[in-house]
Amino acid sequence: MAIGAMLGDILRSLFKRPVTELYPFQRKPVPDTLRGKLVYDPTKCSGCQLCIKDCPADAIELVVVDKVAKKFVMRYHEDRCTFCAQCVQSCRFSCLNMSNEQWELAQLKREPFEVLYGRDEDVQFLLERAARAETGDVECGA
Amino acid sequence: MNLPLPSIILLLFFPGGLFLLASGLVYEWADRKLVARFQNRIGPRWFQPLADVFKLLSKEEIVPSGAIRGLFHGLPIIALASALTAALYVPLAGFNASYSFKGDLIVVFYLLSALTICIGLAGANNISRFSLIGATRTLTQIFSYEAPFLLALLGPAIATGSWNISEINAYAQENIWMILAQPIGFIVALIGLMGKLELPPFDAPEAETEIVAGALTEYSGRGLALFRIGKDVELVIGLTLISAFYLGGLANPLDFLWKTAILLLVTAGLQSLFARLRIDQTVGMWWRVGALLGLLQLLAIILGRQISPLF
Amino acid sequence: MPTQEQNQKFIVPIGPQHPALKEPGHFEFTVDGEIVTGASVRLGYVHRGIEKGTEDRTWTQNVYLLERICGICSHVHVTAYVVAVEQLAKVQVPPRAEAIRTIVAELERIHSHMLWLGVAAHEGGFDSLFMYSWRDRETVMDILETISGNRVHYSANILGGVKFDIDDQKRDFILKGLDFLEERTNHYMKVVTTDETFLGRTRDVGIMTKEQAIELGAVGPTARASGVTIDIRDSAPYSAYKTFPINVITDETGDLLARFVVRIKELLESYRLIREILDHMPEGELAVRVPRRIPAGETIHRVEAPRGELFYYVKSNGGDKPERIKVRTPSLCNWSSVINFAVGHKLADMPMILAGIDPCFSCNDRLIKIRRDNQSQVWTWEDLRLHGIEYYR
Repeated sequence: MAIGAMLGDILRSLFKRPVTELYPFQRKPVPDTLRGKLVYDPTKCSGCQLCIKDCPADAIELVVVDKVAKKFVMRYHEDRCTFCAQCVQSCRFSCLNMSNEQWELAQLKREPFEVLYGRDEDVQFLLERAARAETGDVECGA
Repeated sequence: MNLPLPSIILLLFFPGGLFLLASGLVYEWADRKLVARFQNRIGPRWFQPLADVFKLLSKEEIVPSGAIRGLFHGLPIIALASALTAALYVPLAGFNASYSFKGDLIVVFYLLSALTICIGLAGANNISRFSLIGATRTLTQIFSYEAPFLLALLGPAIATGSWNISEINAYAQENIWMILAQPIGFIVALIGLMGKLELPPFDAPEAETEIVAGALTEYSGRGLALFRIGKDVELVIGLTLISAFYLGGLANPLDFLWKTAILLLVTAGLQSLFARLRIDQTVGMWWRVGALLGLLQLLAIILGRQISPLF
Repeated sequence: MPTQEQNQKFIVPIGPQHPALKEPGHFEFTVDGEIVTGASVRLGYVHRGIEKGTEDRTWTQNVYLLERICGICSHVHVTAYVVAVEQLAKVQVPPRAEAIRTIVAELERIHSHMLWLGVAAHEGGFDSLFMYSWRDRETVMDILETISGNRVHYSANILGGVKFDIDDQKRDFILKGLDFLEERTNHYMKVVTTDETFLGRTRDVGIMTKEQAIELGAVGPTARASGVTIDIRDSAPYSAYKTFPINVITDETGDLLARFVVRIKELLESYRLIREILDHMPEGELAVRVPRRIPAGETIHRVEAPRGELFYYVKSNGGDKPERIKVRTPSLCNWSSVINFAVGHKLADMPMILAGIDPCFSCNDRLIKIRRDNQSQVWTWEDLRLHGIEYYR
């Protein structure tokens, strides 16, 4: 029967540094496997859209710029994503992976959450088309 | 040490009044910081209690239905006033007490209890379940620790031969430290102080996980701020009393600082060491162990005074 | 006024918002002074319609929806669902995937028990134990983050296997963390069983005898603390528990202290099991292909969640969306035991008794059937959503 069984702990803690991590000023190193923001490589994509079928949150859409030449642009809704990595698993060509560097994803407005991935000329083409079109986007494969 | 200042300054600014309020906030910060360090975390920054007071003073005060308005607004003021009045008779900040008369030990003791009774009444004033249970527990706890605590404070009084706090202070400065002469009394006094201030493990009256906030559940805004400041002032006064009696008297401000700091360290350690005692366990412990130890100490002192002339 | 109070009962409401509860639930304790004379419980505050939502999503998408039923038993929910679907699809999962599933499940059990230890200590006012056990819980969360990529909601399972592998570097990381945790767990065992103030709060509180436990249908560590030896990992082994059996931990006393002791001993058992699996890890692939359309049929599967027996019923009609999934979580079985033995204790014991069964309210809320005038209606997901919006307007 002891009175104060945690005496050793609390006395030692008086001479140790606190374990609290002062977050924005100190950041612990993240492991490689951290599931952060999704990153898409358009060069390997074949347009099969298995990733989109399996996404539980409707977070990705594929915009087909040119099907024969395999020009695709992926619209990624960062705010809907649950970071489950099912799309990474479903893709057979290793186009997708979850970044372990971009994981601080808070924003002040909603617009930065919609990310367009693709070759630069394809993304440029899409943005110009969206700016020109009066009747709204012409999309296939959403 | 004596402070030759006009009474109005003594009352309002130093060492009573504003200085006392400020030191209450500083001691609350030190207590929270020490408890946090014992638990291996960082704890609040130095201005946290001050920020709490400002935030509370700027919030709306809602009087719940079923409560008597006069009592609701008046009790926090009475509580803080009694705590501030008690400070006039203790050697605060190491200077001699501003006023002293024969028997002011009892008056100070009563004024500190008045604060706790005000909290209990404030809880009984509401019809909220949590306030009522908290009030019952507060008043029950008063009945349990008052007797041993007074007995423990009586020990140095008997040794001095007077009930005047300033005389006890002077006696303690000249003779051997009472913590060595009356160790049991010191332990009872320190634990009694923790019971009086409702610090863990004796915080059953305001047990957060059982009855939200006990007697003060319905208080917000100014009333809560005044109650909290009253409790902080009570902490300072309690620490001053015990260090004046048992740790060799308070001769100057430096003495005051380091002696109360040591006591605060020990108190913070005891706070983080134990689980919360249920209210029936508190009453049982105090009436069985506490009162017996107090009586034992008294008996030892009386016997000692009878025997020592023989040597 | 006094006569009125004598006729009315003095009822202390705990919840839905209360510092003692981490999730909303409503308890009414009829109190006479400090002694509790009656208790009643009302749940349903976190019903989200997940079972209905599963009928609108494909089999793969459901893996992630069911994972989010609960934060601290998420992997076990998914394991039960995925094994049930694999039973319907009649695929055999490779042994390496089963071993990894079991390792993650045991790590989750460690995480859940450490969290519970802190929360139960906090309910008893022992804040130091709370802070220290949650500090040590960070170790297990770091381990899980390193192997799976996220601290909660590990998303380890897919239909047919697991997503990630445990290589040698991760293995060493796990073993190092387990050594630290084992040392700390032994220390907490000593604290919990010897500290006088803590024993005063937990000994002889909430005693439930073995007969009462069987009659009230208690499951999990709550029942095992009363001497009932039920553990699904032992009576109906699944995944890698067939090759690596466990020892069932029981205690005879049946009070709150016994529940603490059982859970801490289960922690030590988990450490032993994970080390054993890591030593004898079978080789093989990580997953097999499961078709998109699962053949028609119905099946059940039971797993041992950290709180007790978790039960899944899955019915398929041959399509790519399930027809019905029914979940029965362990916390639902333990409520009746709390209500029964809460009477006669003091009010101050109530939060600790509630925390003693390790309630998980989010798991609890399932389908409520309201029969009105013999009419019944089948609603679609859209109907339910619109009704919810209108109801709260």
